[in-house]
Amino acid sequence: MSNNLDLSDRRFGYILTAPTVLIITLVILFPICFSLISSFFDYTLINKSFNDFIGIDNYINSFKDEQLFNSIFVTIYFVILVVLLEFILGFFIALLLNSITRFKSIYYFILLLPLLINPIVVGLIWRMFLHPQLGIFNYLLSLINIEPVNWLGDPQMAFITIIFVDIWHQVSFMIILLLAGLSAIPKEPYEAAKSDGANIYECFIHITLPYMRPVIVVTILIRLIFAIKTYDLVYIMTKGGPGDSTDLISYYIYRSAFISLNLGEAAAMSLILLVIIIIITIPLFKYMNRLD
Amino acid sequence: MKYIKILFLVLTISILSFSSKAVTLNAIMENVPDTHFIKELLPDFTAKTGHEVEMDIMGYGEMHPKMVPSLTSSTGSIDFMPVDFYWVGEFARAGWMMPLDDMIARDGFDTSVYFDSMMKLVGEVEGTTYMLPFYNYAMGLTYRKDLVADPSHQAGFKAKYGMDLKEPTSWDEYMKQVSYFTKNGTEYGVVNQGSKADPIAMEWSNYLYANGGRFHDENWHGELTSDAAKQALKDYIHNLQDHGPVGAASFSFDEAFNVAAQGQAYSYLTYNWFMPSYEDSSQSAVVGKMALAPVPGNGSLNGAWGWAIPTSSPNAEAAWEFIKWVESPEIVAKRALMGGAPTRSDAFSNPEVLAKYPHYDALNRILASAKNFPVFTYTPQFVEVMGTELSKAVIGEKSIDDALATMNSELEALAKKDGVYKN
Repeated sequence: MSNNLDLSDRRFGYILTAPTVLIITLVILFPICFSLISSFFDYTLINKSFNDFIGIDNYINSFKDEQLFNSIFVTIYFVILVVLLEFILGFFIALLLNSITRFKSIYYFILLLPLLINPIVVGLIWRMFLHPQLGIFNYLLSLINIEPVNWLGDPQMAFITIIFVDIWHQVSFMIILLLAGLSAIPKEPYEAAKSDGANIYECFIHITLPYMRPVIVVTILIRLIFAIKTYDLVYIMTKGGPGDSTDLISYYIYRSAFISLNLGEAAAMSLILLVIIIIITIPLFKYMNRLD
Repeated sequence: MKYIKILFLVLTISILSFSSKAVTLNAIMENVPDTHFIKELLPDFTAKTGHEVEMDIMGYGEMHPKMVPSLTSSTGSIDFMPVDFYWVGEFARAGWMMPLDDMIARDGFDTSVYFDSMMKLVGEVEGTTYMLPFYNYAMGLTYRKDLVADPSHQAGFKAKYGMDLKEPTSWDEYMKQVSYFTKNGTEYGVVNQGSKADPIAMEWSNYLYANGGRFHDENWHGELTSDAAKQALKDYIHNLQDHGPVGAASFSFDEAFNVAAQGQAYSYLTYNWFMPSYEDSSQSAVVGKMALAPVPGNGSLNGAWGWAIPTSSPNAEAAWEFIKWVESPEIVAKRALMGGAPTRSDAFSNPEVLAKYPHYDALNRILASAKNFPVFTYTPQFVEVMGTELSKAVIGEKSIDDALATMNSELEALAKKDGVYKN
């Protein structure tokens, strides 16, 4: 009797969860499967049919594509720099915010503002600010007799500028998550450490960091995934140029799909990108599990 | 009372019969001045035909991704559409546009009012008329006429080069003027739109044509490694680096325009529809000082949109009614007077239009001689290749020869893929 009840309970559970499972399958698995299938066909915007099976040709073409490799390297540099710099800056600001008691909500609001702005608008605003002749940045520099800077017209400077703007836009995300982690650390360990004569640095190393480790890993993981998919800023600010100095992989895949019209090859590139993301994030997931 | 009842009955029947034929036409339109001018004129169309028009107005980048799903379905949601010349090859090859020849012949619509180059660009594809030209964005030379008319500059230029300072008609004359006006009367001799991909590709095409070059021969064999092409790229890099502002390698057309509109550059080779903006004191410091001319050396690049009816249009006949109305001489003249950029040649000889916009005389000359960009299925892809290679040459990442060789081989590869390349 008891077994029957358990069984019926389980069936009832399956019925209850079925709609969710179905929706998740449709929303997540269907596009991935569709991309996988189309990556094996000559599937273009002009020829939207699965008549021309070409095996792994799209993958071979992708691996032969020097531009794609350039985009992968540009993206790797970009991701390492933005995630690292945003983490250092974000953690520092989160520690400062965690220590203040007055006007906290005002600081939060100001820091959250960039995150609330649409990335397209961020790109347009910064393009105006950085206009070499009419922008405010070069105007301010001219007041102290510094020559106009070629913010987006020089390959190295354009890459640095994109990183700077991304940090301006996204660092708030790091701050919010890290601040949530900091405010959850109990007060007692700090009080005990202080009574034992520990200084701020020792408290940070031996209490704050160990407590924050899971939050740090999750924050970096999420930001890493988002950074790899960055598209809007380069689309608005540089179109991947000058040359291909800021040609991030998401923007390159977009062009393959909607300008070169080659949906099959773009699907193959997207799946290559997915594999890269999985390879990069697996060690972080493993580390997270170890912490649990 | 009896007569009133009869009158009421007749009116009711008329309204019912009118509304049974009337439809609401849907279109995706680009957020440009011409779209808004047409929107203002739509009540006239509705009064004449009973049809309403719903325009979904959006930025250029959003249009193609939003149009394609409707075009590929058997019954789409778009009744008529503007088609950029970039998309003509793709749309024609995919069979997304309805041939208009029968409708044109049936209703006697006169297509001879359009410039030949315009009909070839956004009218006919391989002998079939799929579109009627809508608005043009041919490129021309915009330059400071006040500086050219200045007697001290005229004397200075003559003394330096031994030739008169006037509207430049040859490429060599223009290059001399660019050099002369750099740090002399104005800050820069020229401002370029060097951003990849479309801005630099379109602008450099003018340099190519002005130097006597072309993209390909009749069999689509690439000619981008010619001496003319090499000289065109050399001139472009020279102007951008030696006579233009810092950062021009990243300028799109709006940023380059702002430099010219603030009076910092003698010349800017750009789209003719910037002329009204130069005359708008809210965004220009050079009101009354700019003139438009064909790119010296007959180098002007043509550009235009055409009106087409999708094969999946639910209301093709009503859509044709709209196209006939919007391209009628009266509506085109009204649009021109509002500041639009028509394609019908009769709009450019309209005295009222010429009185209000004197630069239409130059535009008439530009359209009569403008040359087309290669139109085939892979035009957007080729522009992408061009933009990247030209940008690499400008920043010194590639030599002129290497950049042009890549452009040439990619053009031929895409032409072969499209089936237009002939051995």
